[in-house]
Amino acid sequence: MADLLLVANSEAILARARTGDAHALEQLYRAYESQVYNLARRICRTAEDAEDVLQETFFELCRSIGQYRGEGSLWGWIRTVASSKALMRLRRNKYRDTDELEDEVSPTRREDTLLRMDLEAALERLPEVSRAVVWLHDVEGYTHEEIAEMMGKTVSFSKSQLARAHVRLRRWLGEEAVL
Amino acid sequence: MNHLSMEQLLQLHGTATDVGSADARLHLNTCEACQRELDKLHQRVARLKALPTVHPPRDMWQMVERRVRSERQSRRNKWMGLAGLAIAATVTLAVVITEVSNPSELSASTAAIDTAKARSRELENVLSQYDPESRVIDGRTAKIAGDLEDRIADLDRQLQMTQMEKNVIQEEKVLRMWRERVGLLDALVDVHVTRASNVGL
Repeated sequence: MADLLLVANSEAILARARTGDAHALEQLYRAYESQVYNLARRICRTAEDAEDVLQETFFELCRSIGQYRGEGSLWGWIRTVASSKALMRLRRNKYRDTDELEDEVSPTRREDTLLRMDLEAALERLPEVSRAVVWLHDVEGYTHEEIAEMMGKTVSFSKSQLARAHVRLRRWLGEEAVL
Repeated sequence: MNHLSMEQLLQLHGTATDVGSADARLHLNTCEACQRELDKLHQRVARLKALPTVHPPRDMWQMVERRVRSERQSRRNKWMGLAGLAIAATVTLAVVITEVSNPSELSASTAAIDTAKARSRELENVLSQYDPESRVIDGRTAKIAGDLEDRIADLDRQLQMTQMEKNVIQEEKVLRMWRERVGLLDALVDVHVTRASNVGL
């Protein structure tokens, strides 16, 4: 993986990719496919959606690699494209808001919440928007300002989504505060 | 002061630019429960970052490549359409010019138009061999090329229109348009081919 990234970030590969060289573009794909898919899979509801985001991200990359001027990391540029595509997919799927999900939890699932979940399952269980904010902020390192801009929402929306998500994660992971 | 809310804990967990209020920090220094909460938050975020990477279940490159090829093909078809229009305009003009009443008076200009048309064809051949639609170019170059192509298409439409006004056709106008067309094509070749030479293709 490290080798793939080194190759993909070489000036020679980037120069060839900018001219539309298919082999160079494929090398970029091989270097970043897992990172893009991982980000998409953590944000999107289904594996199919994440595959679509992966495809759309690299399609966009093939069309627009010429616009990447080497300012900032290549991964930073690709990640922004992938995040936007993933959030666009959420909007297209008309994601449900956090509070709606709370009402929809069935009695059986309410009991489940008493059991400890592992982090993976708890993250999966979060509503789409909350999960996206958690992933983009806590893992990918985006600021609330950047997330708000990508989502077309306010900074306080992003902050409150993150706080609500952490309250839920804390509860589902059995880390409930004893205050 | 009450215990810290999750929003306050997140601010305290945040970066140097967002480290929470002075009151919250003061409370944290004296409250063990909130210190434990903040510690759990740190750990939770660290565990999120440490989650294993999910790999794509199948190779999607072929699909991406097919889609890119298909888009290039449709752009190429668009270009061929423009070229076809230009050829049609050339034929139309040839007919119009031969119908003009006094050919001897026009011979000098006709020769100049023929020269411009020949140069126009040469430049189209250069472009066709270079095949710009099969290549990825940066956004700025694509915009310049797109503008030039639009202007050429506009000129071709104007040249076609001259057929409608063949009774009042003015040779100078036609010549001017053909020369402008050559100039634009020259610029388009420059944008595509010269740029490519500069990067050593």
